[in-house]
Amino acid sequence: METKNDIMACRINGVIDINTSPELKKKFEKVVKEKVPKVLINLERVEYVDSSGLATMVEILKKMRAYGGKLKLSNLSGKVKGLFEITKLDKLFDISDSESQALGSF
Amino acid sequence: MNIGTKTSFLLNNTAGSLKEVSAGLISALLEKGVAEGTVFEIQLSFEEALRNAMVHGNRERPDKKVKVEIEISEKDVRLMIEDEGEGFDLEKLPDPTAGDNLLRECGRGVYLIKHMMDEVRYSDGGRKVFMRKKIK
Repeated sequence: METKNDIMACRINGVIDINTSPELKKKFEKVVKEKVPKVLINLERVEYVDSSGLATMVEILKKMRAYGGKLKLSNLSGKVKGLFEITKLDKLFDISDSESQALGSF
Repeated sequence: MNIGTKTSFLLNNTAGSLKEVSAGLISALLEKGVAEGTVFEIQLSFEEALRNAMVHGNRERPDKKVKVEIEISEKDVRLMIEDEGEGFDLEKLPDPTAGDNLLRECGRGVYLIKHMMDEVRYSDGGRKVFMRKKIK
């Protein structure tokens, strides 16, 4: 995780599923606790997300929204983007094609 | 897993056994030259259904088992998963894409399976699911 100009940018690698979601939740507990106002998650290196992973992303979004925080996602692979589209979570999340596009839209 | 034969497993109710059988399926499909996107959809559906069987069906009880059958042919892959739970009513599952349900943290597993596989049939009161997907 890296913070610049009050935006916290982070990259997630590998898999977001039922096994790895608890660790992701734990990492974002600090973000929520400190009420970080703007967070960008780059998912370029995420190759697999299951319904638990999607649920974790929704949970993080809800917790951030509760204190007025903004969460953006970028660089989703075709497969992962497809999951967001099928479940219509692409309507819930602010998704950008690139990190620079996301950073510029906060 | 050999092409054209049905392979059966009786799994312990653990995440480890889920990943082990799933890894075998993925490896057999990739070896057969199935497109990566199709393998992803089969993997996701298989793991979602297995997890549902272990967590919601068998309630994570270590004394319960999950029966799995995998059949890979030249044309398609057929998967059967059966738990020892009390079943569920498919009709009562809310649409996770409708209105406020988008903000719910659960309920997307079966929805994803239905979108990713070509055929999905639940039977035996929801304890058993059959899924099929074309691979050629």
